[in-house]
Amino acid sequence: MRTLGPGSISSFLKIILDVVYFALWVAVAVLAALALLAILLSFNPDFLKSAIHITGEDGKEFAANDATMAAGLTAAGLYAVGVLIIVGRLRRIFVTLTAGDPFHPDNVRRLRFIGLVLAGLELGRYVFWMVSAFLLPGVSRGGHGFNLTTWFSVLVVFVLAEVFREGARLRSEAELTI
Amino acid sequence: MAIRVHLDRVLLERRMSLTELADRVGVTIANLSILKTGKARAIRFSTLDALCRELDCQPGDLVAYEPGPGSEEEVEEEAYGGA
Repeated sequence: MRTLGPGSISSFLKIILDVVYFALWVAVAVLAALALLAILLSFNPDFLKSAIHITGEDGKEFAANDATMAAGLTAAGLYAVGVLIIVGRLRRIFVTLTAGDPFHPDNVRRLRFIGLVLAGLELGRYVFWMVSAFLLPGVSRGGHGFNLTTWFSVLVVFVLAEVFREGARLRSEAELTI
Repeated sequence: MAIRVHLDRVLLERRMSLTELADRVGVTIANLSILKTGKARAIRFSTLDALCRELDCQPGDLVAYEPGPGSEEEVEEEAYGGA
């Protein structure tokens, strides 16, 4: 089965990325609406306290206050925006793969940007973990450690960007070879 | 790059048009135009062979090394600067 060009695995993956991309837009919109709602409801703190409870590691319940709820939703929204940007760039890369032109010069820039956003998301996760540990001590937070796989992925993406840069250079040379 | 292509001069001497040469050599006019204007990065031996055969000339009549200021920097830039 072909991996590049129309009707190949690339075009199939492109369709999946299209679906994920639009689903992420919906997720971002929902999170933005919820964050806005949390900010608006913060004018009536009693309502929010009665509506949302966070359970701590020791089973102790923490009532969410207006600021933490809004901050949490905003952080989730920003994370979703980061993933949306990555998927958006991946979609554009897969458009070139579907067209059978993997070494398009723009793909280098797109891959580097994906690497930067991946690194930014991971750093953002650490910041979120530290801030939440400070604001809500004792609350259970899963997956807060140093994730070696993510940093390995970031490095792989940057190396791939360089591979694509070399490919784009060779393509440009081939185009200008008479 | 310090390599200069003198295809236009040879064509003028032979009183041959670019279109006619393209037909004879089997290279598109667009590609010959790239070669003529010095934008080409490389030339295949097969193309050079066909050009020399049809224009009845030597490779040295078509290309020449003419170093000028900044030509070495240009080569380094091309080698390491990337796409």
